[in-house]
Amino acid sequence: MTDHNRDDNGESHRPDMPAWLPAIFSLIIPGSGQFLLGERARAIGLLATVLGLGALILWQGTAALWAPLAAIWLWGAWSAYQTAKGRRPGMGLPFLLGFLILYGVGVAVTDVRPQRLISGWPAVQPYLRALTEPELLEYPTEDLVGSVPFQVPCIDPLPEPSRSPTEDPRLTTDVPCGEIGDLVQVTGEGFFPGVEGEFRWVNPIGDVQRVIEEGQQLTFVPDEQGRFQVTFRVPLAVPLSRLPQPGETQTHAIRAEQHKPYGSLEPTRTLDLVLEKIGETIALAFMATVLGLIFAVPVSFLAARNLMWGNPFTRGVYYVVRTLLNVVRSIETLMWAIVFVVWVGVGPFGGMLALTLHTIAALGKLYSEAIESIDPGPIEAIRATGATFPQVVVYAVLPQIVPTFLSFTLYRWDINVRMSTVIGLISDAGLGFLVIQWIRLGDLRAMATAIIAIMLVVAILDYVSGWLRERVIRGTPAGQEASPARRYAVTAVVTVGFVAAFIWSWNVSRINPVELVRGAPAGLQMLRDFAVPDILTRPTEEKSVRATLPVPCGSGESSTPGVSGPRVNLSLSCGDVGDELTIRGHELPPDRRVSVRWALSSSAYLRIHRDCCTTDSTGSLTWRTTIHPLMEVDPDAGRDEPGEVIVTWTEPIGGLQFSEPFKEVVRLSAVTLLMALLATTIGTVFAVPLSFLAARNIMGTHPVSRAIYYIFRGIFNLWRSVEPMILALICSAWVGPGPFAGVLALGLNNIPNLGKLFSETIEEIDTGPVEAITATGANRLQVLMYAIVPQLVPKYLAFILYQWDINIRMSTVIGYVGGGGIGQFFRIQVQLNQYDAAGMAVWAIVLMVWSMDYLSAKAREQLT
Amino acid sequence: MLRIENLTKVFPDGTVALKDVSFEVREGEFLTIIGLSGSGKSTLLRCINRLIDPTEGRVVWDDIDITAAQGRELRHIRRQIGMIFQQFNLVRRSTVLTNVLSGRLGYAHPVFSLAHQFSRQDQKRARAALERVGIPEKADNRADQLSGGQQQRVGIARALMQEPRLMLADEPVASLDPVLAHSILQYLELLNRQDGITVLCSLHFLDLVHRYASRVVGLKDGELVFDGLPEELTPQKFKEVYGEEAEMVTVAGTGQ
Repeated sequence: MTDHNRDDNGESHRPDMPAWLPAIFSLIIPGSGQFLLGERARAIGLLATVLGLGALILWQGTAALWAPLAAIWLWGAWSAYQTAKGRRPGMGLPFLLGFLILYGVGVAVTDVRPQRLISGWPAVQPYLRALTEPELLEYPTEDLVGSVPFQVPCIDPLPEPSRSPTEDPRLTTDVPCGEIGDLVQVTGEGFFPGVEGEFRWVNPIGDVQRVIEEGQQLTFVPDEQGRFQVTFRVPLAVPLSRLPQPGETQTHAIRAEQHKPYGSLEPTRTLDLVLEKIGETIALAFMATVLGLIFAVPVSFLAARNLMWGNPFTRGVYYVVRTLLNVVRSIETLMWAIVFVVWVGVGPFGGMLALTLHTIAALGKLYSEAIESIDPGPIEAIRATGATFPQVVVYAVLPQIVPTFLSFTLYRWDINVRMSTVIGLISDAGLGFLVIQWIRLGDLRAMATAIIAIMLVVAILDYVSGWLRERVIRGTPAGQEASPARRYAVTAVVTVGFVAAFIWSWNVSRINPVELVRGAPAGLQMLRDFAVPDILTRPTEEKSVRATLPVPCGSGESSTPGVSGPRVNLSLSCGDVGDELTIRGHELPPDRRVSVRWALSSSAYLRIHRDCCTTDSTGSLTWRTTIHPLMEVDPDAGRDEPGEVIVTWTEPIGGLQFSEPFKEVVRLSAVTLLMALLATTIGTVFAVPLSFLAARNIMGTHPVSRAIYYIFRGIFNLWRSVEPMILALICSAWVGPGPFAGVLALGLNNIPNLGKLFSETIEEIDTGPVEAITATGANRLQVLMYAIVPQLVPKYLAFILYQWDINIRMSTVIGYVGGGGIGQFFRIQVQLNQYDAAGMAVWAIVLMVWSMDYLSAKAREQLT
Repeated sequence: MLRIENLTKVFPDGTVALKDVSFEVREGEFLTIIGLSGSGKSTLLRCINRLIDPTEGRVVWDDIDITAAQGRELRHIRRQIGMIFQQFNLVRRSTVLTNVLSGRLGYAHPVFSLAHQFSRQDQKRARAALERVGIPEKADNRADQLSGGQQQRVGIARALMQEPRLMLADEPVASLDPVLAHSILQYLELLNRQDGITVLCSLHFLDLVHRYASRVVGLKDGELVFDGLPEELTPQKFKEVYGEEAEMVTVAGTGQ
């Protein structure tokens, strides 16, 4: 609100109106009093706030939240009174109350239960512990395994065991058989002297379990001759339901294993896999960026306003391309990955396609904006020299756009690396696949290895692309150009390297255009279903007419057809299996698809010809067929009554209604928005204090504070490279799957992101006011409040809005891995092949992302 | 009376900004400091109110050693020394009134002032200060909506709130055009004559020095190279301060 408005309002209030009048109005309809006083914006804002929050409370159903809403309502009346008196009350209170309601509803619908942070702690501990001990290297081992059969229980006579003992090392038992719980003495010979080994019990099916004696894993250490003797109890090794019948026995086996490490450290199999997938991750990102670049450049020219504004046709193209880019862009890469899983199957190729598509849209937009911001001055100047069009392009246009394009491309490459680390959560592509697979297998240390690899890959490539970007923008400093020979050499090396990287990436991504064509019908069908979601449905009722058909003749009475109304006539009153039969319907609804059923009198349908035929314009139906074998009366098979021929069709009843998926999508959209709100709040609350510790200028030059600064900066950077999707995996183990896990994951991701942005803001503050306020004799706190805070608040708010925006995008996908919200719904619907319901989720996401994008851009504009 | 004694400032990067500078300022003087950019003018002014701590030497004001003051004592000294800046140093997003009131922070309640609560008296004083610099109607505007000249007037009003006995002005008109430069300096002159506030002002333009200063000191590479009346500042002396290649430039429009 500027002063300008205030003056206007001061004049527009009417002194002839008693001050209580607008107050009464506002008491009846919120905002009406303000409207009367000429404060239109405030009036509409107030009404919309009360209605919107009211609807939210009604939907969520916490009665206590009506109190703050009522307070907002009353505040409206009071403020109308104050305004009429010529004063202008601030908006702090209603904002506070509004947020109170939003948080109340948000906490309730996203199921925030802080106590779960504590109760779930034991569940998440193994994950965190695993992160400190990744599987990297191990010694190769020389293994000795001795085994001996053992029969449970003892029977007489004891049959020959179905397993045979090993020759060397040799294991023997004092008895060949025993009951569960009996003591058995095991003697071993020919083992490694002095090397600790373990016992395993192998049950008849071959399942291996550890031998536990008094809660401890049973081990043995052979003497110098490689001999040992151990006694333990026969364990219960098969499920109770599979215990042998009386008089039977089962052959188990006792195994003694020794692993002696030798030689030097070698990478584990986990590490091998991780390294392979790191390559795949980078290859995917590289491929997607290169292909994205190739397609985005021409597209961007079509989406550049200044190039396309010439005539109505190109303007139309501009609008179409722009809209398409926006739609594709607002659907997260991971959602595209789901689409491509359906289209081309699980694998790197689908992941790469999803990345590429999103890259084209994102780069297309960035490029076109770069083209739009070309300075026309140089073009004019070059043209004035008499240059041809290509010369103008080469000398005036390209120098302006190439560095920007390159910089955007590198930036996108960075994003693609991040995305390709998590795209594996959907499809078998990149490191994310290992993470989700190992989580499912419960191999946490392997999972931790993959997560650490993701962090490293993201952090390193982040740094590399940042460095390259800086170089591209700065360009080569004048006077430092290399000699021509060297320049050519560098160009050659870069080109060869690029081509090699491209070929390698092409192979690793397993690109298979045939698959793209072959899966096209399924993929396109899916996209079509996405495009036309069924928002409205009409409830329908199934109607039917029937006729009895005894087969063979005489096995029952045939029905007498009616003469009016919907009815079905058969050409035969009875017959045998395979006889020609003409089914005729009369006075059915015209031009309607109907189904024909062969049915038993017990109403068990035998065979359905769904939507087999269509009635003509008079409502008649003719369908020729042969009598189905299953119509035959056969008392042996329980069919002693004659069957029926039923013609069915559906008729709508009642008016249009919102479909169930639609209602669910609306609900989940609200949940998603509130998830984003809560996550942003968590991020902000923690990031604000931490940001001061990570600001170089605040922390000063003292060694201790400088060290703290570096520690926090380092933590922020490392933590930021953990994708929110990975956090969501861990959080859903922590607090259980659901929106709370999503909120927690996003919040944890926001802390370092906002912390970094905030601390950079602090570092950029104008020191002038600080100096000036200090010079007035103010103390440190006063300096903070008067010189620093006013500079920070608007920028912080802008960053918070920006983060909220990102959170909305992220919370649409976080549901895949247990984060709740609309992403979960989308994934489930796709898995159920309910593409029109999934499509509705897509549209809801597009709508949310767009409107929030727009709103936060507007709000940010206000703040700067 | 303000005494600068053997003031030396060496920055951590090794730059020597001031070298053994000594001079005295008498009560009620309008002292201007001249010198090239980087000659140490700003550092000198900031050493007086201790925005910068000198490496060696003392600043003594009425027998109080400012250079030795700490904490509350230092703040009490600072609040008697107003300062205005080349870049105005207003909090751009706060209102003009808040900016002016912030000049009173040294006097205000240390807790209530954090919640932007000032006494009624201070509010009145702030409006009066704005009246005095000629922009009472701008009180509720955001500072960044004002023109450069108006912003500097807000800066003066903020300094006035301190009821200063000494005013430090660090190139107060270098960011303004000549006409505005005169109007700002006239305010300083007025404060100097009417309120008897001692003014230390660094300036670039010689004709402004001639027009407003009652005494001039010249700095070159951190050393005091001139101390005298404006009339004594001959072209010769001028070249000593500014170097051989300098030419006298005048500012168009000589006030009244």
